Amino acid sequence: MSNREQEYRELFMAEALEYYDAMSRHISELERNPADEEALRELFRLMHNLKSNARAMGYTSIGEAAHHMETVFGQLRDGQATFTGSMVPVLFGGIDTLGELIRAVGEEQALPDVQRLLDNLDRISRGEEPDLEGEEADDDEDVSRKLELSDLVYIQVRKLDHLMNLMGELIIDRDRILTLSREIDHPALTTAAAHFSRIAEELQYSVMDARLVGVGSLFSKFPRVVRDVASTEGKEVNLTLQGEDIQIDRNILQIITDALLHLVRNAIGHGLETAAEREAAGKPAQGQITLSAQAERDDVLVQVQDDGRGIDVASVRRKAVERGLVTRAAAAQLPDAAVRAFLFEPGFSMAKEVTEISGRGVGLDVVKLAIDSLGGQLRVDSVLGEGTTFTLVLPTSIAVKGALLFELDERSYALPLMHTDSVVSLLPDRFSVVGGVLLTRLQGENVPVVSLRELLQLEGDQVLAPARKATLHGRQDIIIVNYNNRRLGLIVDRFLRQQDIVVKAMSKPLDTIDLFGGVTLLGSGQVCLVLDVPALTRLFLAKRP
Amino acid sequence: MPNSEKATAPDPLIQLIVFRLGQEEYGIRIEQVKEVTLTPEIARMPKTPSFVKGIANLRGDIITVVDLEERFQLREAAEVAEEAAAHTYTMAIEAKDYTIGVVVREVPQPLSVPQSAIEQTPDFIQEANIHDKYIEGIARVGDRIIVVLDMLKLLTPSEIMQLTAPAAS
Amino acid sequence: MKNRILIVDDSFYMRTMLKNMLTDAGYEVVGEAANGQQALEMAIETKPDLITLDVILPDNTGLDVLRGIRQEQPDVKVVMCSAVGQEVIVNEALESGASAYIVKPFSEEKVLEIVGNALQ
Repeated sequence: MSNREQEYRELFMAEALEYYDAMSRHISELERNPADEEALRELFRLMHNLKSNARAMGYTSIGEAAHHMETVFGQLRDGQATFTGSMVPVLFGGIDTLGELIRAVGEEQALPDVQRLLDNLDRISRGEEPDLEGEEADDDEDVSRKLELSDLVYIQVRKLDHLMNLMGELIIDRDRILTLSREIDHPALTTAAAHFSRIAEELQYSVMDARLVGVGSLFSKFPRVVRDVASTEGKEVNLTLQGEDIQIDRNILQIITDALLHLVRNAIGHGLETAAEREAAGKPAQGQITLSAQAERDDVLVQVQDDGRGIDVASVRRKAVERGLVTRAAAAQLPDAAVRAFLFEPGFSMAKEVTEISGRGVGLDVVKLAIDSLGGQLRVDSVLGEGTTFTLVLPTSIAVKGALLFELDERSYALPLMHTDSVVSLLPDRFSVVGGVLLTRLQGENVPVVSLRELLQLEGDQVLAPARKATLHGRQDIIIVNYNNRRLGLIVDRFLRQQDIVVKAMSKPLDTIDLFGGVTLLGSGQVCLVLDVPALTRLFLAKRP
Repeated sequence: MPNSEKATAPDPLIQLIVFRLGQEEYGIRIEQVKEVTLTPEIARMPKTPSFVKGIANLRGDIITVVDLEERFQLREAAEVAEEAAAHTYTMAIEAKDYTIGVVVREVPQPLSVPQSAIEQTPDFIQEANIHDKYIEGIARVGDRIIVVLDMLKLLTPSEIMQLTAPAAS
Repeated sequence: MKNRILIVDDSFYMRTMLKNMLTDAGYEVVGEAANGQQALEMAIETKPDLITLDVILPDNTGLDVLRGIRQEQPDVKVVMCSAVGQEVIVNEALESGASAYIVKPFSEEKVLEIVGNALQ
């Protein structure tokens, strides 16, 4: 069998099983409401498709059965007959038979004889009574009938995110266990830890794999965008899509959506010349934009390419000096690539005229921030007069965590939601001091509370000073964290918001400070430290008065 | 340079980035400097020595930023007072497997010096406040004396973290 | 320049087969629509030279789509795809401006012949 035949066969099977499921569903609806027009229309359409496809594949008996079924459902749809009486078991049986036929084709077995079904369907379409003798024998077969379930499941992204978060926690614990097993150095433990570590890693890759989608699911939205923008801008544009089947994490695709939209709009609005300008420059009137994706080791490269006027490096250089981003002398020595990178500086926009589409104020810095937040890179290459290419280098997978953002000493911090129990805002009279530790009663439980500022400011062997209620003024914003069923309240300056963040590992050499699980970049480009609740809890236990 | 016409092996030029720490001039080989930029917003990291200014977002890379004047106590008291006002520059330096930012208060300048101008084992090393193991040599250019630092040795994780207050528990 | 074709059919299998046949023969398939709504949108978006249009679609009948498309783009050629037993609809389609029709199941030669004639 040639590749193409094989492909057709697989497509046929997948679609036929899908049709069969839908038919079974619709005929049950019909049983409840015999006049259900929607169900009748769908049954007719599904029979019709199955017939056409089966005939194209040369599966004559499926084609014949579906054709006869289609005829009867056509009559029902057109009101020439009613779904009632003796035709009901025949039609139910017909759909069952179609299921058997499809399965037989799938397993490359001989197809059962369908003549009796065809005869009965003919009788029904002529308005005669079907021959139902021997139907009970068929019913016996029903007991052993296999239920066909689709090989595909649809799953909410939320569930995948949760799985990914749990995975992140598991990996952290795995690292702890590995460290412990090295310290304890017991052969059985070492073996078990190594095995656990391998499984955890494989699990991690499987979870990451389950989140991958084709880049095409985003690219496919662009023909429409390009058409609209081009017509508003009065330009002639042809869009080419490439590499739509490259796989990438669904959330990464979500995060780059606006960035890609911006780049494509820019390319049409500022990159491409008008038809008249292009012709004057000896180019075809129609501008070309290519949106492409390719895999490069663990990264995905997404490119937006235009054959427009290109970036005038001299003009960018001049503007960078005007804006005070670089001295005139230094600018003169910068290589072109470094000059083009100024385009990504906040508020640095090269467009002379503000157009409706590209908008005002929003520059490439926004695109850059989105890519940065993913731990990716943004590059630009350009040849004056020939065009510009923006390249987004993206990781294939990321871990996104829900986090609570709060402020302490005018800086933003994040706490993973996974370890956050609740947030409360309490007046001083809700606290008591026991053994130098601040306590508050929440849901019938005494929860220790500590000022996060004091905890973070401890140096060396210092321990926390005994708490005094007198130091509390006004409402206290408190985040109750939970680690190993141990609750701890952290007093912060102010709650900010809840947000999904991408945690980047702490870069060397500060990666040895275990109080921070990593950092995240906020939309503003601000660096935000992500606190590690287990380490924070351990610190409190070690340092309490 | 006149002696470049000689037939003997030419004296190779070394490109340095020169900057000021306290009252002294220091240099780093240009290959070790990734870029010089206005100091970005720095997030202070609790539990780090005070010369570690914190972490910053440099074009998407999260880098640690350090203040060598503070590390080697090179700053005059008067300068400490005016420190807050002036804006500073950060040199992004490629250490072994990460990038680190070094804060300086004046724009660092490129300077080419002949290899021969760098004395590998200077005898007046005691004058410098920085321990000799970080010093590659001393360059004499006219009446200037530039201490050439070996940043790769200076910026190893253990060098940076050795002054860290012992971590909790 | 290659002739540009939009395929409208609610069966993925059928679309794939048509696409392969047409692409192999040197046509450019500019889009595939699975229902009437998509078909109308993509017809406007991609401005094809020719549309192959299935008679039976989930949301509209092929006839409604045919009329909608011809209203927007009177020049586009439309080839109806039908199966045996739908002669009535096919006749109505031809009266509404369809150029030709193909009866499923179709052979590659037949498809190319009909599409080729319609484009002349």
